[in-house]
Amino acid sequence: MLFKLFETLDQRFGFERAKAHCDIPCGIYDPITAQIAALTVVRMVDLMAELESKGGEKSLAYQNSMSRYITVKEEHAEKAKHDIRVIWGDYLKAQHLEKHPGAHELVHKIMMLGSKSRQTADRETAVQFVEAINQFAEIFWDTKGISTKRAKAPYSPALEVVYPNL
Amino acid sequence: MFRIFRVTGESLLPEYQEGDYVVLATLPFLFNPIQVGDVIVFKNESYGTMIKRVQSVDNDTDRVFVVGTRMDSVDSRRFGSIPKKSITGKVIWHIRKPGRNT
Repeated sequence: MLFKLFETLDQRFGFERAKAHCDIPCGIYDPITAQIAALTVVRMVDLMAELESKGGEKSLAYQNSMSRYITVKEEHAEKAKHDIRVIWGDYLKAQHLEKHPGAHELVHKIMMLGSKSRQTADRETAVQFVEAINQFAEIFWDTKGISTKRAKAPYSPALEVVYPNL
Repeated sequence: MFRIFRVTGESLLPEYQEGDYVVLATLPFLFNPIQVGDVIVFKNESYGTMIKRVQSVDNDTDRVFVVGTRMDSVDSRRFGSIPKKSITGKVIWHIRKPGRNT
């Protein structure tokens, strides 16, 4: 076989190496960053609702706080989407998709929910965003043969999060 | 005229996989110019000998813009276009490692 011939020649003569270099040390993937970012989105929606419920004058301080919540919500929804896309695009392989044929659809759903979480201040949407990423985390850990559990995050918003049983 | 390299790293997945071999046609490129879409091997001061795909060629400044296929690829998006004189050669033959899934 041709490859074998090249490999044998390589062992004999030592061909040079050409790096197809990646930024991340390849192999480091963990959906927890996306899960935390999605939880942050829910937290920001809660803080926005809380601030709004106080009523009164829309003072400069109010505008400032609201702007900050919205900015963080925007950033974290986008970060969650980005981190999921990296795992989906760079980590998931054909054999994983054979076992989890719904993964593509789920990732698309996450993208849609992430966008909707940015466009609105709807808590239910943000909660669905967290849950869809949880389901993705379950798939991810299954591809590594690692079981998962669900537990409430030990901070606000205390939503269920999928954690690996390491 | 020809040189053989082994690919390390995964920035050109799924087409080029870690462990694949490539045969390069080396300089001069007078009759075989670098074109968009070519996969080339070049030397970078920071990262050493690299393999990437050509996204664009600027013949006025003799520089080319190279990219990997993956989002986290370190390429011209990081270190800018590369001078043509840093190019070792372009891939004319790709010998794939057997047993790949993708």
